[in-house]
Amino acid sequence: MSDPAINVDGLVKLFTRRGQPPVRAVDGLCFRVEPGVIFGLLGPNGAGKTTTLRILTTLTTPTAGVAQVAGYDVVAAPLEVRRRIAVVIQASAAELLLSTRENLLTFARFHGLSGQELRRRADRVLEQLGLTEEANRKVQDLSGGFRRRVQVAKIFMVDTPVVFLDEFSTGMDPILKRSLMHALQEEAHRGRTIVLTTHILSEAEELCDDILIMNRGRQVARGDLTSLKLLSQGVYEVTIAFDELPAGIDSALAALRPLRSSVNGHTIEIALKEEESRVLDLAAGLARLGHVRHVDLSGASLEDVFIELMEES
Amino acid sequence: MDPLIAIIAREAKIRATNVTFIFWDLLYPLANLLIFGMALSRTIEFRVPGMPGDYTAFFLAGVLGMASFSIASNTAWSFFLDRDNGIFYEMLTYPMSRMQYLVGKVLFNVFVALLQAVLTVSLAAWLLEVPVRVDRLPLLAATVSVGTAGWFFLYAIFALRIRRNDAFNAVTSVFYFVFLWVSSMFYPLEPLPAAFRYLAYANPVTWQVDVFRYATLGLGQPSRLLMEAVAFCVFALVAFWYALRCLQQE
Repeated sequence: MSDPAINVDGLVKLFTRRGQPPVRAVDGLCFRVEPGVIFGLLGPNGAGKTTTLRILTTLTTPTAGVAQVAGYDVVAAPLEVRRRIAVVIQASAAELLLSTRENLLTFARFHGLSGQELRRRADRVLEQLGLTEEANRKVQDLSGGFRRRVQVAKIFMVDTPVVFLDEFSTGMDPILKRSLMHALQEEAHRGRTIVLTTHILSEAEELCDDILIMNRGRQVARGDLTSLKLLSQGVYEVTIAFDELPAGIDSALAALRPLRSSVNGHTIEIALKEEESRVLDLAAGLARLGHVRHVDLSGASLEDVFIELMEES
Repeated sequence: MDPLIAIIAREAKIRATNVTFIFWDLLYPLANLLIFGMALSRTIEFRVPGMPGDYTAFFLAGVLGMASFSIASNTAWSFFLDRDNGIFYEMLTYPMSRMQYLVGKVLFNVFVALLQAVLTVSLAAWLLEVPVRVDRLPLLAATVSVGTAGWFFLYAIFALRIRRNDAFNAVTSVFYFVFLWVSSMFYPLEPLPAAFRYLAYANPVTWQVDVFRYATLGLGQPSRLLMEAVAFCVFALVAFWYALRCLQQE
């Protein structure tokens, strides 16, 4: 087995405030991430994802345990770690007084790039991220979505073996997000390890080879999408589109005690944990309430798994 | 590219794109020298024993000290700008140590202060006819460099410790008032009341401005100036150590 890109063992981070008991933001976390993998760190607000990322990116030190990135310990050799990572932090971060191009050049200079190679890469990344027209505009004059785009563009300027993305798609339009996800998958194929946190579970479902779900600083589940979905065996999603939403649908849905349900226009979506034959009966019962245009039945999504795990933990 | 050069290049790009920075760093001290120096020279009788020239000549050292103080404050304020833009925390993940980050910023700070000093001394010598001691220009350059670094480190401590921009601005305003006025920047201390004089003697601005006055006009006792220079170096080193600690705790 190759050396892991990331190795975390017994990681603990305590936050202490005077007069209050310490908060265990990260509580004995252990995981390894292999090179070339897109790794998703998922969890609700306050789960400890960002704190874990802050430790791995040398922004804060752990209270106990080991965290290594590209073979280097984040406490003993933080500079070696920084030489091997590119980070998109959760908050918007850009050089507002500089142009889009200068933002890319400035970042890459810190990673040792210079001369023709630097400029060539900047041109390529500007093109790749659809920023060519904004290349010479100051970032302070760009919209929030474009600023985020500039922030994310920087990771494509360098070849660091590990990339950290904290909620990278915030404020991005769906078309750009899709092309960016494709670009991230290409980077992973080239051998870069991508670690991301996101609240958008469909994004993680599509992108991540390996997922760790955490809550209250601890691991709740770990695995690829298929193995995580097995945790929610017996969970089914039912989607029914009606011509007109039938009267009394709300009470009918509530009576089924679904894991979750939503009504969008004339379409209902519910997640049920039942035997397959029973789910079919229940879906048929709902469909009889009105004139149906379309019915869809599928297995659990990552969102179902996530919600179930959070309720259990 | 070496991280230090990358930081200097970054700071230079940011400063060069903003006219406000250029005004405050380079032109504001010149305006002070021209307006106050010239106006007071023509309206008051001003004599200091052993000093060649008029009030403009005396005030030249004060303007150099003021520029050093202001440039350091502007560079330290850029920590706030970086924090507001979010780039501060992202930069802490760049391949450089915290010490390189601080030293890179101070090197650029010193470069701007030296450029400003060249402008001020040239204006004073050629336009305002101040009899500047050319043989002591190396001492002047050293005083600009160490002085600006010391003030930057002091301001950096506050910029890193204080989270609110308005609170930092309040601190710098108080600093401006206390440090600049309770010092030998604008007037000689000898005729002033004892309490004021002792406070001014304990002020690092006085130490720096006295050395500037010796470097530009040859005014002052070398033994006392040596003591003031050593005291300022100690002040700068302590401020550097504490600023670095603050940055490492970020």
